[in-house]
Amino acid sequence: MPRYFFNIRYRPGPDGVAIDPEGNELPDLDAARDHALTSARDLMATKPTFLVRDWTACSFEIEDADAQRVLTVPFGDTVPDPDADEV
Amino acid sequence: MAPPQQSAVRNRLLRRLSGDDFALLQPHLRLMPTEMRQTLITPHEPVTQVFFPEVGYISVLADVAGNRIEVGLIGREGLVGASPVLLDSGLTPYHEFVQSPGEVLAIESEAFCAAVDESSTLRKLMLRYLQTKLIQARQTAYTNAAYTMDVRLARWILMCHDRVEGDEITITHEFIALMLGVNRSGATLAVQTLEGNRLIKAQRGRITMLNREGLIGVANGSYGVTEAEYARLIEGT
Repeated sequence: MPRYFFNIRYRPGPDGVAIDPEGNELPDLDAARDHALTSARDLMATKPTFLVRDWTACSFEIEDADAQRVLTVPFGDTVPDPDADEV
Repeated sequence: MAPPQQSAVRNRLLRRLSGDDFALLQPHLRLMPTEMRQTLITPHEPVTQVFFPEVGYISVLADVAGNRIEVGLIGREGLVGASPVLLDSGLTPYHEFVQSPGEVLAIESEAFCAAVDESSTLRKLMLRYLQTKLIQARQTAYTNAAYTMDVRLARWILMCHDRVEGDEITITHEFIALMLGVNRSGATLAVQTLEGNRLIKAQRGRITMLNREGLIGVANGSYGVTEAEYARLIEGT
């Protein structure tokens, strides 16, 4: 399985990323996106930190094992679409 | 193997014992190397041995409803298995396992209890130690309720630093997440906060302490209460 690294962009600029040095093995990019959304949802349920005052300003910048960006997942994507049916 | 001499032990409880009290335990103490993630106390099973850590530290883990969160840390200042044995409960609901490998001095619970029954000064010191463990647990409860994960990480690194030689702590983000009860991304952010302020240096699989005073500042009172009480109760300072 490929390994994906879930770096967290918390502010613009070269220093605004928290690097994930370990990564997760996941079947494919869809699974990586699901993982990112689950992680974002968990984080947004916790108190903000010194680094992050507003979770919705954050995004996951997902990289593959070659350090190439493969997907960006804004934390805001966890907010359900208001037009979607309630589950 | 010859029993350990008190002058050579590193465990702070054993070092505090009077010569007579140490002599009660000495013939029963057995030096045992420990391995990463080795279980010392299994939940809900009789605690037949207790362990004085010499090198390395042990995590107390609550493993409840699929959530695993560290609720205590024991190194050379302590005794693993102290509460179930000294308080006559025989077993504990928590899992205690080696988080930083090294050495412990193991002693059969029966022999340990016999020594405690024989000496009031030994019993007194052990009860004082239990009080410091109770304070550590209360401080952990307070910290987890009151503070964000970066403050909790600062406290936790300080507690580990107290229990290792040197400034390097071997740890992955995966494990930090478990210790703090957050997901791995939470651990990544908390590490970034402390590293961005040049309080620690994080490399894959390890954290190096750069600025202890700075970390104590970030810990904001969550660290230090337990340690001061230990110094007062155990080391008389």
